[in-house]
Amino acid sequence: MKIVVLAKQVPEADKIAVDPETGTLIREGVASILNPYCEYALDQAVKLKNDYPELEIEVTAISMGPPQAKMVLLRCLELGADKAYLLSDRKFAGSDVWATSTALKEGVANLEPDFDLILTGKQAIDGDTAQVPAETAEQLGIPQITYGVDVKINNKRVEVKRETEKGYQILSAKMPALVTMSKGSNIRRIPSMRDVCIARDKPLETFSADDLNIDEEKIGLSASPTQVDKIFAPLSKTGGEIIDGSEAKVAAKKLFDYLKENKFLSV
Amino acid sequence: MSENIIEAQKIETLPFEELKSVKGEMIISASYPSYLVDESKISGGHAEWLFFPNNEEEISSFVKKMKEEEQMITVSAARTGIVGSAVPFGGAVLSLERMDHVIGLGFDEEEERWFLRVEPAISLNEINDIVKLKKIEKEKSIPQDKNWVEKFETEPTYYYPVDPTEMTASIGGTIGANASGARSFKYGATRNWIKKLRVILGTGEVLSIPRGKYRAVDGKFIIQTAGEKYLIRIPTYMMPKAKNAAGIWAEPNMDLIDLFIGSEGIFGVITEADIWLKEYIAPMSNIVFFKDENDAIDFVEKLRSSESFKPEFIEFFDDKALTLLRNKQVEDPKFVNIPKIREDVLAAISFNLDYSEETLEKCFDEISDMLIECNSSLDDTWCAYEEREIARFKHFRHAVPEIVNNIIAERKKQFSEIHKLGTDMSVEDKYLKEMMNFYRTKLKEAGLEYVEWGHIGDNHVHVNILPRNMEDLKLGKELYKKFAKKAVEFGGSISAEHGIGKIKHEYLKIMYGEEGVQEMRIVKFAIDPDCVFNCGNIFGREMEQ
Repeated sequence: MKIVVLAKQVPEADKIAVDPETGTLIREGVASILNPYCEYALDQAVKLKNDYPELEIEVTAISMGPPQAKMVLLRCLELGADKAYLLSDRKFAGSDVWATSTALKEGVANLEPDFDLILTGKQAIDGDTAQVPAETAEQLGIPQITYGVDVKINNKRVEVKRETEKGYQILSAKMPALVTMSKGSNIRRIPSMRDVCIARDKPLETFSADDLNIDEEKIGLSASPTQVDKIFAPLSKTGGEIIDGSEAKVAAKKLFDYLKENKFLSV
Repeated sequence: MSENIIEAQKIETLPFEELKSVKGEMIISASYPSYLVDESKISGGHAEWLFFPNNEEEISSFVKKMKEEEQMITVSAARTGIVGSAVPFGGAVLSLERMDHVIGLGFDEEEERWFLRVEPAISLNEINDIVKLKKIEKEKSIPQDKNWVEKFETEPTYYYPVDPTEMTASIGGTIGANASGARSFKYGATRNWIKKLRVILGTGEVLSIPRGKYRAVDGKFIIQTAGEKYLIRIPTYMMPKAKNAAGIWAEPNMDLIDLFIGSEGIFGVITEADIWLKEYIAPMSNIVFFKDENDAIDFVEKLRSSESFKPEFIEFFDDKALTLLRNKQVEDPKFVNIPKIREDVLAAISFNLDYSEETLEKCFDEISDMLIECNSSLDDTWCAYEEREIARFKHFRHAVPEIVNNIIAERKKQFSEIHKLGTDMSVEDKYLKEMMNFYRTKLKEAGLEYVEWGHIGDNHVHVNILPRNMEDLKLGKELYKKFAKKAVEFGGSISAEHGIGKIKHEYLKIMYGEEGVQEMRIVKFAIDPDCVFNCGNIFGREMEQ
């Protein structure tokens, strides 16, 4: 069985800020990392590999990005992927979600045409659109299940426990299929020194748009139906009421009265 | 050529009345209580005056005024110290918090090294943020016509490598304490990174002390002030070869700057420092797991004898520390934020290496051989080189003392006088195993609850005794003294990095005897005859009368 993990390199989001004047991201001193949700997808792939040895699962990580995105693929290899492909070409530059999913679809179809399952993050922590996985599944013409927290394989079907606002749902789909992963109760794994060593001997190849015979018209800025007009930091919320807490008893009384008056408490 | 006579320079002062200050013990304890405590949590701090100077002129005015008023001065900055050095017991608090700027950047052409000139209250975090991102204004070149700042912009990433764990500590505080921390295994303590100091004396004058200019002759220095000549006789005790922060530095032909570094502020106020910078090489951090503590110690000995690499730090966690982490993981997985530590693991060693793809394989092969000889393997390890992953390892290290402190806080509810007993002792390399065995045997014999972790690379493991009741506290204190005596016997220090402050006087006597402490006291009174500065640090106040 073949599992493809789609991975994205992102800036470490909790360290990033928006320049209020230019509206651009301040990336100075901010590291690039493997999108955490993509890492959970990879973890799930490795877990399936360990849980179903009889299926002889092979895990392939694929990313589209600049040459330095190799580092996130290296991390995928350290965490248990068997091989990795980077789709990297100036022609991909400026791709929006649709053009990106086109490139990924072509990458998967060309490099791993007989895949059974695609696992990927529910969204990337930089753009947060959550569009690329859905559009990739659509372009490949396969079923998709989003917001998964646990995945099982059952008789050529994939069975996914997915988060919803009201609780969990169990959905299943016929493979090949695409599943996006949420955090669940995951604690990110740490590779061993052995894993780090072995990863450097695993195959990690780079492919250009031409290598994959991708039509130039379908990728990059010109093939992107959407454009980012402006990025801005949301205004911080104002209002609310702050109760002076210097005297705990007085403050508690005030809070109690407030909650009671506004009918938050029915005492 | 070096010399042993230094002349103090006069500072223009302002009339005291023009300077802002807070006066009154009641006001200070009600409105400024944080200036009466530090991370030692010792209680009883109080002060009559509080100042926030902006520059040397203001400090000089305050010092002169306090001398007139016969008030002693406790210097304060980030108050992150854990031996109470910044806690005032009467007199004035001189809080340097407004003096937290970068003064300039220069390049020492003789030494071919970059340095940063800073005010005393800037934190280590701020220094690294500014240096790493090269956020230094062009006009701050030292000297200005050399345009060093512009040249620095084209250089690779630099940083200040001293990491005493608490990176919100101020540079001045870390110089006063000669702070070290984990990375001192490779880079040494703060002392090695100080190029020049400016220090205001009790006369209100300032000494400018570049490294290399003033050296002792016949065990003596002379400080020439406007009024008189101070003759300083360097103490004759032998300092341990092991990592040491106990008492003042003393060597026959020592550099004058070393007398002030690590002196816990007893001679004057540091107002400016030139600190060396180092090129930043991204590290790779590793944690290795063992099923036996002795295997872990064997591994440390192999690791530090390698000729092809030298880790920045080698840290140790005993089975008790790992158990605390495991239990905390069950209770609050997010707090620890690391994968589960296997149940059969009884010790762990954390160390780092320079991260280089070129040497990685060769290095790992060598480490693999060492691990096999110590009944472990590359499989029983964790490895990280991304910054966020390294931060997780750092958290792993910090989580242990944090959990210990929480346990003690909980116990204090039942026994208010209970506190943690944390050792800070080092020994010579050859005694590491014996000392570790001594700790373990004695702790088990006494039936005390304890945790061991820390800087094993420097033979400097922190034993934390966690008393469950007053009986345990008493037993623990007795044991602490035994440990101190043993450390000294093994060529070590009773305080390798925390300093003496106001709480470890009796252990200093174990190390240097009454005579040694008396020699330090003589130096103190030679430089600060009116006992203006930081009285109570290193030796007791009562003896200074």
